Order: sequence, then structure tokens, then C-alpha cells
Amino acid sequence: MPQKGGLLFEVKDLCKNFGVTIALSHVNFTLHSGEIRGLIGENGSGKSTVSSIIAGMQPANSGEMMYKGAIWNPASAIEAQKAGIGMIVQESGTIAGISVAENIFLGDMSRFRKGLAVDKKAIFTAAKEALENIGVTDINPALPAGHYDIQQRKLIEVAKIIYMEPELLIVDETTTALSKHGREIVYKIMHQMAEAGKTVMIISHDLNEVMEHCSVLTVLRDGVIIDNISRENFDADDIKKKMVGREMKGSYYRDDYDGYDENDVVLKADCITTMNQLLCLNLELHKGEILGIGGLSNCGMHPLGRALYGLEDIVDGQVILQHSGLVIKNAETAFKNGMGYVSRDRDNESLELNASISENIASTGFKKNRVGPFISFKKEKSYVDRQIQALSIKCLKAYQPVSTLSGGNKQKVVFGKWCAVDSDILILDCPTRGVDIGVKADMYQLICNMKKSGKSIVMISEELPELMGMCDRMLIMRNGQISGEFFRKDGYNDHVLIEYMI
Amino acid sequence: MTNLTVSEKKTPVILSAKDKIAILRANRYAMMILPFIVLALTVVIFGLLTSGRFFRTSVLLGILSQTVIIGTCATGVAFIYSNGNLDISIGAVMGFSATIGVLAYNSTGSPILLVAVSIATATALMLFNCTLGIVFRIPTITVAIIVTQIYSSITTLMIGGAGSIYIDSDTGSMLQTGPFRYTAFFAYFLLCIVIYHFTSVGRTLRFIGGNENCAVQAGMSRNRETYISFLVAGIGVGLAAVFNVINVNAVTLDTGGSMGMNVMLATVLGGMSIFGGSKSNCYAGFVGALTVSALNRGLLMVGVPTAYIQSIRGVVFLILVFLNFERQRLLPGRDQF
Repeated sequence: MPQKGGLLFEVKDLCKNFGVTIALSHVNFTLHSGEIRGLIGENGSGKSTVSSIIAGMQPANSGEMMYKGAIWNPASAIEAQKAGIGMIVQESGTIAGISVAENIFLGDMSRFRKGLAVDKKAIFTAAKEALENIGVTDINPALPAGHYDIQQRKLIEVAKIIYMEPELLIVDETTTALSKHGREIVYKIMHQMAEAGKTVMIISHDLNEVMEHCSVLTVLRDGVIIDNISRENFDADDIKKKMVGREMKGSYYRDDYDGYDENDVVLKADCITTMNQLLCLNLELHKGEILGIGGLSNCGMHPLGRALYGLEDIVDGQVILQHSGLVIKNAETAFKNGMGYVSRDRDNESLELNASISENIASTGFKKNRVGPFISFKKEKSYVDRQIQALSIKCLKAYQPVSTLSGGNKQKVVFGKWCAVDSDILILDCPTRGVDIGVKADMYQLICNMKKSGKSIVMISEELPELMGMCDRMLIMRNGQISGEFFRKDGYNDHVLIEYMI
Repeated sequence: MTNLTVSEKKTPVILSAKDKIAILRANRYAMMILPFIVLALTVVIFGLLTSGRFFRTSVLLGILSQTVIIGTCATGVAFIYSNGNLDISIGAVMGFSATIGVLAYNSTGSPILLVAVSIATATALMLFNCTLGIVFRIPTITVAIIVTQIYSSITTLMIGGAGSIYIDSDTGSMLQTGPFRYTAFFAYFLLCIVIYHFTSVGRTLRFIGGNENCAVQAGMSRNRETYISFLVAGIGVGLAAVFNVINVNAVTLDTGGSMGMNVMLATVLGGMSIFGGSKSNCYAGFVGALTVSALNRGLLMVGVPTAYIQSIRGVVFLILVFLNFERQRLLPGRDQF
């Protein structure tokens, strides 16, 4: 084991470009044993690129890396893992169709071979041990990974990486996919590793999180290291400024107390029960209202968002568009009648990753951009360009595949397609997951503007501060039912809200 | 404890040769012209191997004739591929509809009925396939495997022991050499281009093929679009059945036999993935059909036995499909067209 405080990893003059896009420009930094390094910056600043190069997922164009005193030039992520560098990736890193155990030991199955077959008992036992090792006991290693939700699948990935006992652990925007419990598991692992003289590098957009847990912060902007800040010099406003290149002081939530029309209900859930978590749930959304839905991650708030948009089978009760009396039975009806939905699972549900930015944004506007039965290319182009400009989506061109964008810019594309179609009712499920503070501020502003123009918004979030900062009214859910209702005009008290959640 | 260094912004990095090649490979224009390069290479190679005999008018017309048949089918079937469906029953549907069309013609003597009945039958069968898939929620490829056997058996029963049913050669050659064939082909091809690229149909199909969840959330209906795709493909298969009948003045037990393979081969040779998605289009099949027809004819002319040609096409197809997975992201991007 390296000596605590000793040099473990060094990045020297690292450059990486994707075509003409420069992702990293002459990046230098060092990592030491026993430290927790935070890597922060706006979406598209190069954080994931530098960490994926360290973890062997892609090569650099130029520059040098040193690991434990020797030149480090891994050919693959597997080589890096074997050498003690593990990375928990930002996007989903599990395969849905195979068992949890097989996911954990993917690439290392040979050790469980028994003749021609795999020793199921041995692999399940080892997987159970790997999960218990990080404190997870409610995941069955024999079940397919697809059986579990995003959060639990992320924990499976954590178990996989930790089981390999890495010397250097890279956590790439993992915590955004986790509930409080899941986050605590990751934080505990990070501190245990640092305590044991190992090194952790965490990438996160949650400033409070990195300021609480990191010993040093490295700020990246547009592929260039802006600063390395030691813990004693942490200052939120200074860090924000360095991240985005402009002053970002104080709160970015709305500060008004504008109400909404309490007599004008636009959407109503009338005692809806679903096969998935919801039990006779009633809800009314008003014109010009931002309605927050909060609770623990498995309280039923995510299925509620899907049910309101017609994506869940409702076994009893109904969702009604109050003005027209129309019952929402599927997403097609919802969409045609002025509703929009931003899914929590961005890459699998909100974007067609192989398609371009243009095609993704244009996907909501086929009807709007028609002249007779034909698509007007001119209208479509302006429909797309307007959003790219309004949301400052960082891209070379509109025809760039959306998969090449950073997480925050992908989320901007999702927002863009719903802003473009000008939906009257928007259901936003964790709309700011994985986006940096600059983008968050822009999105909150956008949501406020929508409210002001009479749109109605359901905002589902696991982040209480976000709900408290943005919502006119908040419904707290517990076990598939609403446990409390709170109003902005009365002021929110987070201690009270949490009591209603648990 | 930490060695803090702050990097300065320097001049942009210089692209390596490897990067430049990667950029070229990812260039949509480069990938767009690739099918034409493959076609040109095929023609040049067979031209050299046959000492120029490949360029005789009769050979070229023969290739064009086969291109019209395969191209019509491939253009229509591109609608099915685009939204992630596969249907390998088109050969059997073609044989079935050609038989019904010929029987209708022989009992009435009306060329109009030959065309109308063939198209109506093929369209009805394709819509039936689609309905089975949607109602029973099974992949269309599975439906196709089952119905292929049924359609082929019925066709064999209708054609009977003679193995073929002829139409009178006057009508056949009138339709074959007159303006009908090329007019019908170009009308269908243009119709498909307009529907696919100038209305929301193609965009919707591609989006569903790329990410169905995302498409559904944007208000698209998979069932409706699947019906549209099978309807358009059905018309194409029916029309191709007519072209095939007038080409040989008969319907035989072999009619449509290798069409499923030819269409898939034409699609991938034309630069489109048979797995659909955002990089699909409806004209790749036509470009590919030219290459497939040239390949079929060229192989015959250099003396490769017919039995081996099928195998060679199979191998080429396997290689192309394999490359397709790899090439998926390199295929030409879909711009506004």
C-alpha cells in the first residue's frame, strides 16, 4: 500500500480532442494517497474525459500519465481495473438482461468456471458478498439487473468496482442517480478508502457535496484547469465563479411569491391506483402553478409522473384534463393535448442518442412544422435553432449526434424539445439531475418564465432545496400516497417536510 | 500535501493522422458516397473480368430490369426496417400475390386486374402480418417466419404440379417493353421519397426505430406507424410481383424465392442499416439494388454456377451485417432530407 500523502498519480500536459472539438488542453494535476479529490466544472468542461482517460476507457492525444511512479498508458478499462484503478461511470454501466451477479463479475467469469459451465452457487455467493461489502442487502444477485431501478443498478456498479479493491477510485457523477441512503453508502466508502491510504476522485455538480467530502477541488473549464483549491480555501461563490467564468452569487431559485389561479384546475388525478406503487392518489394542478412532488426515492413520485402522462397502466381512477374533460390513457393523448414529460431516465427515455440534436428537438414539432401534409424544412430549422440558441447548447452544429454532448447539454436538448412545442402542462421528473449550477440556474429561470406565461408544471425531485426554492405548492409522498401538502406562501420548513417523508 | 499546479491555456492541439482518418470516416458525405463507390467498383471489376462484355446493352438492360424488381421491394421495405422491424416473408408474399394476379388475369384477360389484384393481395398479406405482430405482441420477424411457410404452401397448391402458370406473351411483352414498367416504378419510388422524407412519416419511423420509449413520450404511435410501413411495403411488394411476372411471362414456384435476401443485401449495400434508427432512408435500397443486380449478373457471366451465387450473396450479406453493427454510428447522418 502506498504511503499516505505520497504521490499516486500524475497527469502531465494531457490533451484530448474529438475531431475539431478540444476536450482537454494541456491538463496537469497530481493525486496523492489518502486524498479525496473533487473534479468540478460545467457540463462539457472535460471532467469525464480526463477521468475516462485515467481509467483506460479512451486514449489521450498527447501528454503523459504516471501511476505509482511508472508511465501509465492502459489499453483498456479492464487493464486499469486490474492495476487498481476503478471508475463508477456517469451513465448506466450494467446490462439489464443478465443477472446482478454476472454484471458484478463481467469480464472475470473464468474464476467461477466449473468444467464447461459457470458455478452458479459460487458466483451468487461471491456477488452477495460484494453487495454486503458496501452495505447493500436488498438486492438479489440471481435476479436480472433490469429488475432493479436506476439507483439500485448504480449500487450494483459500486459493489462491482469496490470488490476489486481499487487503489484509485473515480466516482463520475454517480451520486445524482442515488437516494440519500445510496449517497451515504458512497460517501462512507470514499472516506474509508481515504482513511486506508487510498485515493478517491469524485466528479459532481453538487457543490455542497464536494465541499463537504473533498480535501482538494480541481476546477476545469473548457478543457483547461482553472485552479486547484485546498479545503481551507473553499468558498462557494469563488468556486462557482471559477466554474462558470462569471459571478454566481447566492441563490438561483425564484424569489417571488406570485401565486396561481386556485379556481382554474387544468389537470386532475382522481383517486388513481396503479400496479406500481400508487394507491388512490388525488391531485389537482392549477393554471400557472409549479407543483412540487417530493419524498424518498421509492415513495411513488416517479410512477406518479408517468401515470399523469399516461405512461403507467391505471387500474382504478383516472387522470383528467379538466378543461376538455378528456381522460389521459396514453402518452399520445397527453402529448396531443398540450402535455409534455421530461423523464428521469434521460438516456433511455428522453433522447434518441444516435440521432442528432436537430432530430431530437424536432421530434416534438412534426405537427407544428407542417405546411399542409409536408414538413417545412425552413420552419423545422428555425424550430431547432431557436432552442439551441435560447438554451446555449454547446455544439458544433445542429446535426451533431446528441450522444456526443455532455450530460448537461443533453438535458438542455430534452428541455429544448419541450420548450419548442410550448406545452401547457409539463411534468418534470428530476429535471436538473446531473447538470451544473450554470445550467441549473438557466433551467430554473426557464421554469419561472413558463409559470409566468400561464403554464402549469409538476416538478418531481429528490432534492428538497430545489422543490422549496421553486414550487408554489408541495405534495410530500410516502408509500404511494400523499402524506402532506405545503404552500410556498406559508414558508417551507425542511425538518417538517422530512418528517412527512419518513 | 498536494502539489497544486495551474495550467495555462496554450495553442490548440494539432490533429494526428489517426484523428484525421477518424474524422474522414465519420464524415457523413464520405459515407454517403461509399455505396456509389462500391457500385462503381462492382461494375469495373466485372467489366474487366468479362473483357467488356458486361457493358453490352442487353446485359445492362437485364441488370436494370432486375434492379427495378429488387429496388421496388427494397424501397418499400425500408419503411419497415426504419422503425426497427424486420420481415423476411416478402419473397413468399411476392410469390403469393403474383399467383393470384396471374390467375385473375387469366380468367379475365385484363392487364389492369393483373396489376390491381397483385398489389391488393400483397398489401392485404403485409397488413395481415402487421396485425398478427401488433395483436399478439410478437416481433414481426417471428410472424414472418411462420407466415412464410403458410404463404409458400398455398402458392405451391395454387400453381400445381406444372410448377408455373403462364400469361400470354403479348400482354407480358406489352407491359414489359411499354412505358408501364418504368413509369410505375418511378411513380412508386417518388411517392415513397415524398412520404418518407417530406412528411413526418419517415422522421417518426426513424425515431421509433431509434428509441421507442422516447418516441412514445413525444406522442408517436408505434402501432399506427407500423401499419403505415407495412402498407407502403405491401404496395411495393405487389408492384415488384407484377414486374417479375411480366419479366418472364409467368409465375413460377421460384417467384420471389430469393427476394428476402436480395432486399436485405440491397439495403445494406445501399448504406442503410437493416436495424433501422436515425440513419435510415428510403432510397438506399435502390442504390443497393443496382449493386446486387450487377453482382448477380456479373457472377453468372464469369461462370459461377447459380447454386454458388446464392452462397456468395449469403457470405457478402453476413459480412455486411457484421460490419453494420460496427458501422452503425458511421453511417451517413440524417439531415433535413
